[in-house]
Amino acid sequence: MIEVKNLVKRYGSFCAVDDLSFTVEKGEIVGLLGPNGAGKSTTMNMITGYISSTEGTVEIDGYDIFDDAEEAKQHIGYLPEQPPLYMDMKVCEYLEFVAELKKVKKSERAKMIEKIMEDTMLTDMKNRLIRHLSKGYKQRVGIAGALIGYPDVIILDEPTVGLDPKQIIEIRDLIKKLAKKHTVILSSHILSEVSAVCDRVIIINKGKLIVDDTPEKLAEHARFASGIKLVVKGDKGNIIGALSDVPSVVDVSVDKEENGFVFVTVCGKDKEEIREDVFFKLAEEKMPIYTMEKMTFTLEDIFLELTKEEEKEAV
Amino acid sequence: MLAIYKKELRSYFTTMIGFIYAAIFLVIVGIYFMAYNLNGQYAKFEYTVSAIEFLYIVLIPILTMRLVAEENKQKTDQLLLTSPISITKMVLGKYFAAVTMYLAPVVIMCFYPLIIAKYASVSFGPYYATAYSCIFGFIMLAAAYIALGLFISAITENQVIALIITAIAVFISYIMPGIESMLPTDNQSSWLILSLLVVVICLILYLSIHNITMTMIIGVVAEVALMFVYLLKPSFYDGLVTKVLDVFSISEKFSNFSAGILDINAIIYFLSVAVMFILITIQVIKKRRWS
Repeated sequence: MIEVKNLVKRYGSFCAVDDLSFTVEKGEIVGLLGPNGAGKSTTMNMITGYISSTEGTVEIDGYDIFDDAEEAKQHIGYLPEQPPLYMDMKVCEYLEFVAELKKVKKSERAKMIEKIMEDTMLTDMKNRLIRHLSKGYKQRVGIAGALIGYPDVIILDEPTVGLDPKQIIEIRDLIKKLAKKHTVILSSHILSEVSAVCDRVIIINKGKLIVDDTPEKLAEHARFASGIKLVVKGDKGNIIGALSDVPSVVDVSVDKEENGFVFVTVCGKDKEEIREDVFFKLAEEKMPIYTMEKMTFTLEDIFLELTKEEEKEAV
Repeated sequence: MLAIYKKELRSYFTTMIGFIYAAIFLVIVGIYFMAYNLNGQYAKFEYTVSAIEFLYIVLIPILTMRLVAEENKQKTDQLLLTSPISITKMVLGKYFAAVTMYLAPVVIMCFYPLIIAKYASVSFGPYYATAYSCIFGFIMLAAAYIALGLFISAITENQVIALIITAIAVFISYIMPGIESMLPTDNQSSWLILSLLVVVICLILYLSIHNITMTMIIGVVAEVALMFVYLLKPSFYDGLVTKVLDVFSISEKFSNFSAGILDINAIIYFLSVAVMFILITIQVIKKRRWS
């Protein structure tokens, strides 16, 4: 459905998006994730044809976004970071205008707008001027605009910004409902949102793709995926020496030392189980383990970890 | 295109700009009509029309300032540029909306010659011909200016700046005949003035395309060409400045209409200016996506 190949965007010497490639299949919900300034909005602007790419191509349903712009854009509904609203229009006028722009047939227009206003809970605000709406309502008008014409691909840049918790849940449900018929790409810097809605997560940082996987499998990509935390009685140097000898252990770091107890974090290779190895080794060396705990990762940890790693490499 | 056209036309009335424009236009036309045709008892409407030509300095910027600048500022261009509509259609929709708005009070102005005819003893054929050909020329002049204003609106994000620059541009074109008469016509000063003009044009070019290399190349090539021509054939520059500046004097072309002549050359000139600025506007908007 969407095919992004080797996308690059340079502003002078600054590289906002660096060789990004991914494909999105029909009916998928993909979350684009990254810290501020990672290039999420730039990527979305390129996918929708708002700005050009320096290199690389984007194809929507087989149409190139630049060469067959009109056909490709026919398949896209886009909500940019700042909803593109005309402040001096009423909500229904705005949606009418968008419908006309998107070449929705006149006979279907009224019904479609009615339905979309219901879905986005805007029916009560229908005759209000957009300039008088609150931020959350403006955001919803933006989402409604993206839905007009029911395009195959819906691209939402931070769709739940400015909404209250109840509305966030409603919009998420709406997005999930949409995914049955449409392909959705949404960006966010909030992980819980992405994990709640998306089938797949693409993490980018500094314009580079870091991970492209399902939310469940994300953990595997973290360096500390199989980490354990230990509290061991004994001398700091000896403990580090002993643990470093264990073949499956990759990384040992001391968190703190207290009353003869050492708090250590140990990491293994990939997903390998290291608890037994560590236990026997320390038992052999006569260093009693007081606590052993497998580290559990929230998505936040993984995200921070993955984006941090990238920075280290860059340094 | 129709969607954009309707939206722009409607926004003239939801933002009051349309009413302000029509009010200024009709009040001033009314005053001059009173003074020249009624109180002065002079049965030539073309004099009134040519006397109010200066109005364009104020009216054209009012009509065109928001057209593209406001979209850029509110980021609504993101909606337009990601919709299945070409930039050409978008620009044309905006242009025709501005022209339509412009025409609204002009339609009312078209009744004035009829009022004169009712009370004056004139030979109707030539009387109507000169009056309405003058109004026609007046409309064509505006068609060229509106395209100019549209272009200026496209290169800025701020409608106040668009307003000021457009007003200055129309004003310069309006006083151009006066400037021309003050300039020297000998070949050396012609050469210097033209070189200066190239620098100014390059500056405008740079502001609209933001490409220093391209601008430099064009500027240097033009300057070198000017120098060569001067060294080889100095007589080429005799009176050239006036000729060149004449091209920029859009309002000067209107003078024949006010004398009651239907000037085909001028009509073609106005249309060319309009088409040229519309094309540049399209390029400016396209270019912005590449920067």
